[in-house]
Amino acid sequence: MAIVLAVFAVLIFYDLKEFIRKKEPARVFVIYFLFMAASLAVSLLLAAGRRPSSPAQWIEALLKMIGVMQ
Amino acid sequence: MEKEKISGIQLFLLLLGFLFGSTVILGPAMGAKNDAWLAIILGGATGVLLMQVYVAISLLNPSKALVDILREKMGKVAGNIIAILYIWYFIHLASLVLRDFGEFICTVTFPETPMVVVIAIFAFILVYAVNSGIEVLGRLGELLVPIIPLVTLIISLSIITVRDFTAFLPVLENGMSPVLKAAFNFVTFPFGETIAFLMLFPHLNKKDKLKNVVFLSAVTSTIVVIIVFFRDIIVLGSDLMSRSTFTPHLSSLLIPGLNIEPLIDINLLIGGGIKISVCIYAAARALSQITGIDDYRKLTGAIATFCVVLSIWGFGNVLELFIWSEKVWPYYSFPFQIAIPLLLLLLSLIKKGKSPNAGTKK
Repeated sequence: MAIVLAVFAVLIFYDLKEFIRKKEPARVFVIYFLFMAASLAVSLLLAAGRRPSSPAQWIEALLKMIGVMQ
Repeated sequence: MEKEKISGIQLFLLLLGFLFGSTVILGPAMGAKNDAWLAIILGGATGVLLMQVYVAISLLNPSKALVDILREKMGKVAGNIIAILYIWYFIHLASLVLRDFGEFICTVTFPETPMVVVIAIFAFILVYAVNSGIEVLGRLGELLVPIIPLVTLIISLSIITVRDFTAFLPVLENGMSPVLKAAFNFVTFPFGETIAFLMLFPHLNKKDKLKNVVFLSAVTSTIVVIIVFFRDIIVLGSDLMSRSTFTPHLSSLLIPGLNIEPLIDINLLIGGGIKISVCIYAAARALSQITGIDDYRKLTGAIATFCVVLSIWGFGNVLELFIWSEKVWPYYSFPFQIAIPLLLLLLSLIKKGKSPNAGTKK
């Protein structure tokens, strides 16, 4: 858990430094944090041993629901 | 107009590297067992046609990438929604190839290393390549992709003494149905995945070469896959081949007195690396176009991080990954690889027909 937090902290710190220095528009920050927040949330759940249902399972369930797959 | 340009040979090798991708370690169309060669030929021919559809879309919309074409043909709202779905698809594809890579390396080469470490290091290097630009990727392809067929040739020649040339017989023992199913799977993996190249085609310096470049790369990759199939089946036999996880690796282990296992790793590093780089590039580029961000490089780090997490999150083990890839992937990919491109081609042809300049040369 601590390793996950540390890795994400380093990644975000490195990119954020560049974004602030280059005065990037707000939408860059929004999209960046959207991806990083999703990644961090899933990583923490995986590190805690609580794997949430994955997109692969959602896709399979969707295809079964619309009758494409048996 | 795109500033960065790649030559015909660079695009050819990038396409070839992309098409080899994970196929160099997985052995496609294995569902048809000893008739897989028929499925590869059928799927290869259909794949060539499908890739020509992508070429036609690109030629009918010169200097436009997939997102621009979607917005122009389907309207801004619908175009953006479909473009977002494509971004998801490219990210998902990159994560699947990353997982293939991780599973292979952790099963074969570094069994003691955690998979996330292997995948994260690989992704980190690829982000550096993607951030260097499409020209660097092209030169990287020029330098590295020729190694893949060379390695295939070395392995094939090394095991020429271990063989059973009747292993692929009898032909069509189980009828045509498994062959057709495997051929469809072979179209969606890897040919249909080259839809990501609609983000790269505008970078080609000479547009008149596009058709030939794409055709040649598809045909070359089909031929190499057929060679790999025959090599594997005459060495391993149909039964062992259909039960093995990484077939080409198993074949390479049979070379007497020589360990050339790492050559398979090299093949995957090159092919998989190019495939993931192209997917991350396509996703970042499409996202930057939709959101109006001037440089796609600002998003590559975040997208690659998400790909790494998605690759670990997606499947509990290698069997889940393979079953999903065989059973779900073709149907999931159908709209992205076949339905939407065909619709785009139709809309492009209609627009060309309506255009007052239709038939005149500029």
